Amino acid sequence: MAEDQLVTFSLGSEEFGVDIMRVQEIIRIPPITRVPKAPIYVEGVINLRGNVIPVVSLRTRFGMTRVEETDLSRIVVLQVQNKVFGIRVDAVTEVLRIDSEAIEPPPPVALGMDSQFIRGVGKIGERLLILLDLDHIMGGETSHDVSA
Amino acid sequence: MTEDDGKNQGVDLGEFLEFYLLDSQEQIEKLGAGLLQLEKEGGNIGLINDLFRSAHSLKGASGTMGFTPIVAMTHAAEDLLDRLRQGKIDVSLEMIDILLAVTDRVKAMLAQVEQRLEITLGYEDLVSSMKALVSSQIPAAPVTPQLVTKNQKVVDNDFVPLNFSLDPSESAKLNNAQIMGYSVYQVDVKLAPNTLMKAVRAVMATQRLERMGTVIKLFPSIEELETGNLEGFSFLVLCDEPVEEIKRELLEISELSDVVAHLYPDGIGGGEERAKDTKNAVEKPVLELDPKLDLKPSPKPSPKPGLKPDLESDLKPDPKLDLKSDLKSDPKLDLSLNVVTAENTFKPVPTKKAVFESKGAASESVIPTEGAANGEGNTQVHTIRVDTARMDNLINLVGEMVITRTRLVQIGLDLKTQYQTDNMVNSLNEANVYLGRLMNDLQESVMRLRMVAIGTVFSRFPRLVRDLAKKTGKEIELVLKGEDTELDKTVVEVIGDPLMHLIRNSVDHGIESPKERRAAGKTELGTVTLDAYHEGNHIAILISDDGAGLPLEKIRNIAVSKGLIGEKEELSERDIANLIFLPGFSTADKVTDISGRGVGMDVVKKALNNLGGMVDIATRQGQGTTFTIRLPLTLAIIQALLVEVGEEIYAVPLSSVLETLLVNRTDIKTVGGLPMVQLRGNTLPLISLQEKFGLPAPEIVSNEVFVVVVGFGDKALGLIVDELRGQQEVVIKSLGDFLNNLPGIAGATILGDGKVTLILDIGSLIQDVLVMRKN
Repeated sequence: MAEDQLVTFSLGSEEFGVDIMRVQEIIRIPPITRVPKAPIYVEGVINLRGNVIPVVSLRTRFGMTRVEETDLSRIVVLQVQNKVFGIRVDAVTEVLRIDSEAIEPPPPVALGMDSQFIRGVGKIGERLLILLDLDHIMGGETSHDVSA
Repeated sequence: MTEDDGKNQGVDLGEFLEFYLLDSQEQIEKLGAGLLQLEKEGGNIGLINDLFRSAHSLKGASGTMGFTPIVAMTHAAEDLLDRLRQGKIDVSLEMIDILLAVTDRVKAMLAQVEQRLEITLGYEDLVSSMKALVSSQIPAAPVTPQLVTKNQKVVDNDFVPLNFSLDPSESAKLNNAQIMGYSVYQVDVKLAPNTLMKAVRAVMATQRLERMGTVIKLFPSIEELETGNLEGFSFLVLCDEPVEEIKRELLEISELSDVVAHLYPDGIGGGEERAKDTKNAVEKPVLELDPKLDLKPSPKPSPKPGLKPDLESDLKPDPKLDLKSDLKSDPKLDLSLNVVTAENTFKPVPTKKAVFESKGAASESVIPTEGAANGEGNTQVHTIRVDTARMDNLINLVGEMVITRTRLVQIGLDLKTQYQTDNMVNSLNEANVYLGRLMNDLQESVMRLRMVAIGTVFSRFPRLVRDLAKKTGKEIELVLKGEDTELDKTVVEVIGDPLMHLIRNSVDHGIESPKERRAAGKTELGTVTLDAYHEGNHIAILISDDGAGLPLEKIRNIAVSKGLIGEKEELSERDIANLIFLPGFSTADKVTDISGRGVGMDVVKKALNNLGGMVDIATRQGQGTTFTIRLPLTLAIIQALLVEVGEEIYAVPLSSVLETLLVNRTDIKTVGGLPMVQLRGNTLPLISLQEKFGLPAPEIVSNEVFVVVVGFGDKALGLIVDELRGQQEVVIKSLGDFLNNLPGIAGATILGDGKVTLILDIGSLIQDVLVMRKN
């Protein structure tokens, strides 16, 4: 049976998952340099071993309120279409496997956030995981930015 | 294996194409440059030999890759050069022209190859004109190259060619080589009685032969030599060295009692005769010959302790092995011995064959490439080619180490304040200081890796000047100086076009026709000089000609008539000369296809400005013109002024900083909603970086602010900042695909504390202000 391996993390009370093959590494929050005139969801750039990579605040991207940085805050460094960027999350929870059959398409009225970022919803027992479609996290549609 | 591979004699193109292209392009450059020298100097035998070798290795490499059009052309060129070498024909202008045309055609073909296209260009015309040259001048001479005739003598009657039972790709290689006129030898080696470690001898012999040519096959195989009690072995070798040379080289290996080499006849060992001997047929599809290749990846079982001394004592008697300073072959030799030992120790290794087989395909295609790269007895090259991405990675890592070291130093200092007298703390700090020195050296060495001699750019100009001179009917000599001057690869890559334009200009407009030169009392031969040297943190490149000099009066008149300057404007000679860099300026009475459509010089200037460089002109009537280009040594590192705005730090490229001022806020006036300040009678527009970038306003507003005056072209602008942090060298990094093209930001850099800092794009900031003022 086909399985997906996911890295899961939390934003507020919701739990999200990304394909583990896209995750390059998970790091603590280094100093972030703000980039003027960048899209609002781009928190800034960081130095990842000599490479400058952008960091997206997922909370801003999903229209959630900002929170203070905690000990659990992390940046998940992703590689999508040969481009490297980081997403800032509240906490990384675990790495797990999920049956492909347990993944359902996103509901038409998606959980209070834009459905373009959602690949599906995974069910593990009582837990609901929101699987992210990473291709649209960076760039993609700009309609959301305008409304945000 | 795909069908493609079949077409190319089983060679996996992709992996080696890059090497092939690099090597071939280099050979072509060499050929081109050599031909020009030949034209100048005539029959210089050393030079002709060099040319011959270049053509030969090009042919060899192209043959291996299966690019027949290139093989055909280079083969004919080789014939021609061989004739020349033997003194049977003389250098003629026609010949040089044809050979140059060949280099151009091959270059074009290589370009097609590079784009992964089929070679569609024809070659028959050039081949036939070369053939015509060969035959027309010495109709009596036989067409067979000298080497073959010489070698034919060696074939004696009692020599029985051995069936090497080649596999298809090997026999294809053999046939190919024979068609291309390589000599193929069967080299029989006899071992002294009771020789230990026969396989080692075979490996050593293989390596020596690889230096002279390409080993197609060893018989019997290494494994058999290992186990069997054989008295000798035989090679099938492609090699253009004389038999005596092969013998001499091999006999230097100890315990080889006799070496006999015979020319291997055509058609034997080809596919149709292949593998009649069943023992050989079952043995393996690929015979591993190149020890460098298969040994590295194969696991290295540790030899039994008892065996090692044995091995060493066995090797010592060979003086070559110990003394040979040949860097290239030594480590490989060591490696191979290592593994042979291992095989000795674990005799029946069941996985061995699998390893050999899987590596077979790769190594097989490497052998000829290597042979072409360093074979043919060329001088040893002590350079390696490295992907720039790997080098950049190295530079990044070193940068990171520097940052980590600063943290270590900080920790050391903190510890010192806490445990003042502890010896451990002192040792730590000492070690830190030493580490710091090493890091500085390391950083410097790494940066130097990127430096390339400017000669690589210069080398393409002799041809250009020659062709241009012919076209314009002028006699011009190009003198190159300072070719060893090094500068960063990034600059070398982009400097070519502006230079070419300036040289074209010198040839077309600078140097007069022979008639005019005679009338002016000069020699008919005009000289264009290209010179380069270091000047502090910059490199200066001079393009000078001994032509007529710039017609200053004419330039002035044109500039006035085009409205570029006012009629009464007072200008120094230098200012007038610099007018030719204004857009839309051309003094040539008629447009030629060499230079002069009025788009030339301003483009050159712009290109150089973009590189952070400058260009200046010095001209003297009747004596010539000199263009001086000054460029930063690298584009990867710039001097920057670090400024503070609120809590953020930005880097301003120092090349665009004119001055810094301390301005009282009351002096800042607003004109049409935009802040301005009076600076020596002129109004200077200001922008506040804090407002521009939407940064939070400071809580305490000071009475005075710093203004960094920046200029781009003839526009100036003042940036209001909170603090100046001093100047520093910074390494420019891209912000990546997602964030490039942000207004006002040119890139990023990483400071000593590991934090990312943005580099301002002064050009776009000034542009913004101009637009704002218009609105």
